[in-house]
Amino acid sequence: MNSENAKAQMRKGILEYCILLILSRNSCYASDIIKELREVKLIVVEGTLYPLLTRQKNSGLLSYRWEESQQGPPRKYYELTEAGREYLKDLDQSWNELIESVNLIRK
Amino acid sequence: MKVTVNINIGGYAFHMDEDAYHELKAYLRSLELHFTGEESASEIMADIETRMAELFRARLGTFRQVITMSDVREVMEIMGRPEDFVDQDSYTARDKFASTSSHRMYRDPDNRMIGGVCSGMAAYWHLDPIIPRVIFLALILAGGLGLFAYLILWIVLPEARTTAQKIEMRGDPVNVHNIKESVREEFERVKKNFKNK
Repeated sequence: MNSENAKAQMRKGILEYCILLILSRNSCYASDIIKELREVKLIVVEGTLYPLLTRQKNSGLLSYRWEESQQGPPRKYYELTEAGREYLKDLDQSWNELIESVNLIRK
Repeated sequence: MKVTVNINIGGYAFHMDEDAYHELKAYLRSLELHFTGEESASEIMADIETRMAELFRARLGTFRQVITMSDVREVMEIMGRPEDFVDQDSYTARDKFASTSSHRMYRDPDNRMIGGVCSGMAAYWHLDPIIPRVIFLALILAGGLGLFAYLILWIVLPEARTTAQKIEMRGDPVNVHNIKESVREEFERVKKNFKNK
């Protein structure tokens, strides 16, 4: 039993939460999301993000619109839907609870 | 001097060096394989290709025209290999990976004499195809059993059509390197056939 699996599971949930957090501020292009996640060392490779975004979009948390770009192909800008905001509120709460529980035990 | 290939990524035309093209093709195949079974696999692939097109354009700038191997390597580095995505869905990704690196017997259509049964066996056990052929021939000459067995196997064994199946037939793990090798072999064969005609 190594810690990799536990870590991967933890990161997966947190990654989804953080994507929603980033998008709750304003609508973003995938590369902007990647940049932020990379700065805080949550992801290393871009390919990780695309399936997550598509899954969140399919479950109705996100929507996207196309926007022209000067540098190349039109870009997909993602934004939170109403359902996504509700979902995020839920996650915010459970995150706080988790932190509290873990801190209580770690003491 | 190098031969270039014209390709379309995310709706944009690019000239690529031949070696860079093979590298990219193998990489995209490995991604496709990774996302197989995903609900919106084609959408994810389209997103990734669009992003890659953007990265290539940024790399080319205004003066350079041809995408080279180092461009492809750099972009692959940024996007990551399927092995690096494992953390997003570790269980399913790993299960899928385990099942794709399995070892199955197929009929090998590339080296066949009749139905590809013997060449498939040879690929499976890493033998010279002459060995199963001689055994079958001996069995056929000794009585009808060999012929019967051959026909049954011809019906029962599936043909290795896709690159992944061919790799599975040999029992190699399915990864970017192996797919690249297979794609290149296939390319060389087609080229040879073309020249012969």
